[in-house]
Amino acid sequence: MKLIMSAATLAALLHITPVVVLVKRPDAVRTLLPGADAFTAREVHLSDADAHRLHEAVDWSPEDGVLTFYTGSAGSTAVGGLVFVRVDTPHGPLEVAVGFTPQGTVRGAIVTKATVEMKPWVLEAVGAGLGDPYRGLKPGAAPDAATAIASRAGNLAVYVAREVDKGVARALASYGAFYDHVRT
Amino acid sequence: MLYDLRRADVRIKWLVTALLATLGLSYVFGALMVALYAGFTPQHVAATYAGPEMAMPMPPETTVVVQHPMSMTDFDKPELHVVDTDLLIQDTHVHVPMYGIIAAALSVVVIGLSLSRRLSLGLIALLFAAPWFDFAGMWLTKFASPRFAIVTLAGGWAMAAGYVIVAVLAVHQMWLSKERT
Repeated sequence: MKLIMSAATLAALLHITPVVVLVKRPDAVRTLLPGADAFTAREVHLSDADAHRLHEAVDWSPEDGVLTFYTGSAGSTAVGGLVFVRVDTPHGPLEVAVGFTPQGTVRGAIVTKATVEMKPWVLEAVGAGLGDPYRGLKPGAAPDAATAIASRAGNLAVYVAREVDKGVARALASYGAFYDHVRT
Repeated sequence: MLYDLRRADVRIKWLVTALLATLGLSYVFGALMVALYAGFTPQHVAATYAGPEMAMPMPPETTVVVQHPMSMTDFDKPELHVVDTDLLIQDTHVHVPMYGIIAAALSVVVIGLSLSRRLSLGLIALLFAAPWFDFAGMWLTKFASPRFAIVTLAGGWAMAAGYVIVAVLAVHQMWLSKERT
């Protein structure tokens, strides 16, 4: 019986709960690229060398070796860029949308997807001000919202913040190296 | 045979009925989950399990950029749920033991039904073969050909059919049959 209970517990622990949408992508786009009415998808197909460089920098490679940035503009005025980054955690994937100003600083970061299990942790982290420390960061900076919210959030919210930090770091590294440094 | 659900104690009948109801509930939500994440057509299943890994695009020698305009509505398009190899390993590891236990539980019900030996053997084979087909189809779709998506669909429908056959026969023989006691 002990063996069966252990196996059942292990199976439950290993079972990743389904992913739910916390913020719809269009809503994240409206928030992070305010006022934009025209958009361009900029797909950067990384060479082996560049993919390796990115992996060395942030321990991450984009799916299929393709980074997709979205640029927004209002008329002839650039509003900024946006990238959706996936972070795989032991509790399942998170998706973080990171928006940039035309000057290349972070305008904001929004967790758009999480697993059912992580959703309350994300909501607690957001309530504790998860998004605030990211604003104004430039490529090369080290995001650390986990430390910033540690005094006003529980351990699991801080854990999620640490995972979101990874997502923002990946977005910063990608944006800094590849957003407008590659010829079309 | 001593084990005959038609003549079993009412407590046994009630246990089997509760088991079938619980499994039925889980099957209904299993079907809803399939509808949400994989779909019920060979095309959807193939897209879910074959995914981009079938194409295996080679990375370019130098990094290149492709741009195209898009509208706000493009951001709202439903994303395809893709099961990569890692996730399929995990799914197989988690689901197959559970399917085995469910098939065994339903087989125990089958043994208690008044059926010919051949029909009982056939039903037990169906209960265990269905999940094998289900997962074999997923792996073959990923690594052999998207055409094997039909095997996964056949396995899924076979699981549903196996459950419905056992549940209908069991409920009929336990609670409705004239020969019951």
